[in-house]
Amino acid sequence: MQPGELNEATQQPEIDTIVAPATPLGRGALAIVRIDGPRSAAILQRLGGATPAARMATLTQLTIAGEPLDECVAVRYAAPHSFTGDDLVELTLHGSPLLVERVIAAVVESGARLAEPGEFTERAVLNGKLDLVQAESIADLINSRTALQARLSLGNLRGVLSRRAAVIRESLLKVISRLEAALDFSEEGYEFITGEDARREIERAISETSAMAETFRRGRATTTGLAAVILGRPNAGKSTLLNRLVGSDRAIVTPIPGTTRDIIRETIEIGGLPVTIADTAGLRSSGDVVEEIGIARARQAAEDADIVLYLVDAATGLTSEDELSAFTDAIVIYTKTDLAPAPPGKTGISVTAERGIDELLLQLDSLVRDEFAAPEGSLVNERQRQAVLGCNEALAAALGALNGGLDEQVILVDLYRASTSLGLLTGAITRDEVFTEIFSKFCIGK
Amino acid sequence: MFDVIVIGGGHAGAEAARVCARGGVRVALVTMLRDAIGRMSCNPAIGGLAKGNLVKEIDALGGLMGEATDRAGIQFKVLNRSKGPAVQGPRAQCDRDLYSAAVQQILADEPNVTIVEGSVFSLLCDRSTVRGVMLKDGTRLDAHAVIVTTGTFLQALMHSGEVKTVGGRFGEPSAETLSDSLRGFGLKLGRLKTGTPPRVDRNSVDFTKLEEAPGDHKPRPFSILTDTLLLPQVLCHLTYTSTVAHELIRANLHRAPMYSGQINATGPRYCPSIEDKVVRFAEKERHQVFVEPEGLEHPWLYLNGISTSLPPDVQDAVVRSLPGFENAVIARYGYAVEYDFMNPEQLDPTLQVRGVDGLFLAGQINGTSGYEEAGAQGLLAGINALQKVRNGEPVILRRDQAYAGVMIDDLVTQGTAEPYRMFTSRAEHRLLLGCDSVYERLSPVASRLGILDDERKRRVDARVMRMQKARNVAESASLTPDRDTLVWLTAANVSLHEKATIARLMQRADFDIDRFVDVCEPALPEVAEAFRALSAEESDGVVSQLRYAGYIDRQQREAIRQIEEEGLRIPAEMSYRLPGLSREMVEKLSFVRPVSLGQASRIPGVTPAAISIVRMHLRRGAVRA
Repeated sequence: MQPGELNEATQQPEIDTIVAPATPLGRGALAIVRIDGPRSAAILQRLGGATPAARMATLTQLTIAGEPLDECVAVRYAAPHSFTGDDLVELTLHGSPLLVERVIAAVVESGARLAEPGEFTERAVLNGKLDLVQAESIADLINSRTALQARLSLGNLRGVLSRRAAVIRESLLKVISRLEAALDFSEEGYEFITGEDARREIERAISETSAMAETFRRGRATTTGLAAVILGRPNAGKSTLLNRLVGSDRAIVTPIPGTTRDIIRETIEIGGLPVTIADTAGLRSSGDVVEEIGIARARQAAEDADIVLYLVDAATGLTSEDELSAFTDAIVIYTKTDLAPAPPGKTGISVTAERGIDELLLQLDSLVRDEFAAPEGSLVNERQRQAVLGCNEALAAALGALNGGLDEQVILVDLYRASTSLGLLTGAITRDEVFTEIFSKFCIGK
Repeated sequence: MFDVIVIGGGHAGAEAARVCARGGVRVALVTMLRDAIGRMSCNPAIGGLAKGNLVKEIDALGGLMGEATDRAGIQFKVLNRSKGPAVQGPRAQCDRDLYSAAVQQILADEPNVTIVEGSVFSLLCDRSTVRGVMLKDGTRLDAHAVIVTTGTFLQALMHSGEVKTVGGRFGEPSAETLSDSLRGFGLKLGRLKTGTPPRVDRNSVDFTKLEEAPGDHKPRPFSILTDTLLLPQVLCHLTYTSTVAHELIRANLHRAPMYSGQINATGPRYCPSIEDKVVRFAEKERHQVFVEPEGLEHPWLYLNGISTSLPPDVQDAVVRSLPGFENAVIARYGYAVEYDFMNPEQLDPTLQVRGVDGLFLAGQINGTSGYEEAGAQGLLAGINALQKVRNGEPVILRRDQAYAGVMIDDLVTQGTAEPYRMFTSRAEHRLLLGCDSVYERLSPVASRLGILDDERKRRVDARVMRMQKARNVAESASLTPDRDTLVWLTAANVSLHEKATIARLMQRADFDIDRFVDVCEPALPEVAEAFRALSAEESDGVVSQLRYAGYIDRQQREAIRQIEEEGLRIPAEMSYRLPGLSREMVEKLSFVRPVSLGQASRIPGVTPAAISIVRMHLRRGAVRA
């Protein structure tokens, strides 16, 4: 070994300094540019002529080569106390796309490079400032279209979901460490854990992972929004209802049956969630090729939908062409009640007479809140669901092994699998944690 | 001129010297004290949980620890008998004098080994290649490789109460200058401590007040070379501390070097001193003391469980508070020893110091504790030094192949903050590492290297074939629940409702192979014959391999996936200054310099995201510094 070779480890390696606009490019009052990395403060010094105190909003004149760029407010964050955990500078400029471009060019010329999409968040994850669940929830938060969506994402960013997973992880660590101790320290005269306690702990983790997996339906519905489809025979009033719900003449309405052929979609907020409502071709056997395709699409859309509104002309009632039996969860709505009454006890509306609409909206509102709105800490994407389901499956296998009288080493194989799977959310349990748990709870060593 | 110089004659040094000699190269073993070769400096026992597996691995690779144990063993016991095969650990109490005599005899039988009595002053090097050693008396020894196995003797300092003595073992000197020599290579040294309990004159103890702790009724030898154990088998005993002892210890804590600030080095969490136990687990009313005989004729008892560095007067009082020890006379007081160790992250997986060609380190100097851990490292360092001298390929055991592979990978990848001891839980593929399969896994490696003697090779082949045959027979022979069958099955306590193979029956938790073999002969002569050919240990092994087959398969599949990751080699000149890697990741990766992506992923604190970045760059091939 050459002298000094080891010193490489202690030198500060050169992580790139990156720059990107943090606000969309466009005219506005203000625009923010973020610079992250070890050279960020030096770049601010070069362009702004001073290094302001950390976390102090400081009025700064940006110039390059004597040429003024903008008068901005600069905030400098010192590692590790920043969003990314690196040294970071935020420049609040005047909101002109031209200014933003010139400032970024000057920053790049001073030694930074343009950031890749998501790179700031990635650095935050790499530096341990955020876990993966939290990083994902940032994207969800930014994409939120309703307050409820924002609340779910913000909750997960604050670690509600991570903490929920951490509780399961605690249970796993407890059982794993004690079963390991029973194998490695069997001569110490301890009963580290009774079979009954291990079973109870594993069962609790199973029911908790099951409960978490169940939150996915609502979590996904809340993050991505809902799909509702208006279905029914021709001229049942489907397009009229769509236009009423979205508040504009979105779909063409005529008395001619079969006017709507392709699906028309519009999104409105119901019960705190974005609901995309689809108006579809009326169900009948028409013989028209184009209309038949439209009807097939209508059926498919209804099958995939979260909510189906099935319209029936109150004057006509249900006919043999209706397909209500295929959509048992559908909300049946009798229309044109200004001309004929809805059957007793059924929901009826008349858009023309503005009758029953508010009641229908209230009904939909509570349906969405009761059936689809996700509480904080819900799973929101497939990756999270796989992690929890994998954990759940492995826990069930461990319980099976325990109940089947198999010994610790086999139960542990499944418990470690559970830990690895859950680890996608929380980080897997390490061997060192297992030892630390054992040695802190039990007096080991002859 | 020698090919290999081994510094130190402890458990690592003895294995290293022996295996190099077996490989046909000339070895000098330099020791400060010829008579101390193979000495058991701690308790007089070999093996135990996970450690027993290491001894078996040493035996399968042609090492000497198992042979020596069988020659000196006075109580054999398989621990975790009731649990699966992978976590069963054979242990043997040894006569400590017979043990070191056995090691010395085994080395004396190797004509290629020259014992040199002396103390190494410094290592000789030519730039970054080791050339030999200089002894204190000025003698120069040249070699192509040097293996340092100095145990706790580097800058060793013993503590007994307020008294400090320079030395690595009672009555023996410390190696003072070698530490400087190693520092001269730019190596980082750390400091650890370990402790010993008092030894008591056995004639001063009333054994009637102690619990008896017998060994196995039918003792099983460690080595495949051993047919019969020749020494008489004796008892160990148990006694317990009481609140009286705990009060005494608490009252004198200020005189214990660990608490008075006299020792700062880190001791093992799994082997705390009695002071530690009393302080950290104040609520515990008694601590077990395992009373081990030091030998058949040896006048001392080893009080396992109360290692201490309290001053002698307190030790007297504590020992005399133990039931049966009211009139005990301490023959040697317990002491703590502090010593230098080399941070093992500076080694490559062959145990060679990174950047110093031909310099290997093995044993306690690498921050481990235990004879078995030392022996296994000594053997692997020896094998790799041998390969170096012979221009052969390095030998690195995988984590799914041997506990020794797990240990060395842990050491060079993660380093250690406390004396490292083998635990079964350190192995992620534990089910693959049972003693039953050790010869199948490892002997072929030794055989290819030409370090497995003919007798061992013959016995290994015969054993592997016997066990394979029994497995095949059990998997192919089947039973149907007709009346005659059910009659004799009842005698074996086996129920049967549908046609099943014998292997399937063996998977039941209550299956008793011995009982089954006793009654199955008329119906299944081939099964009876195949299993009668097996030793008890082999038969247990076959049954459990069949019993755990599903889980073993799964671990094997996982292991194969990991091997693929291991296959992604990282070039030695890799620069970790990659965009997206945090400073902390770069530091960790640059310090350990993993040889593969698999190893990189096991470095503590290195995140999966960082691994993805490294993987991406490896795939791109843009890795040149």
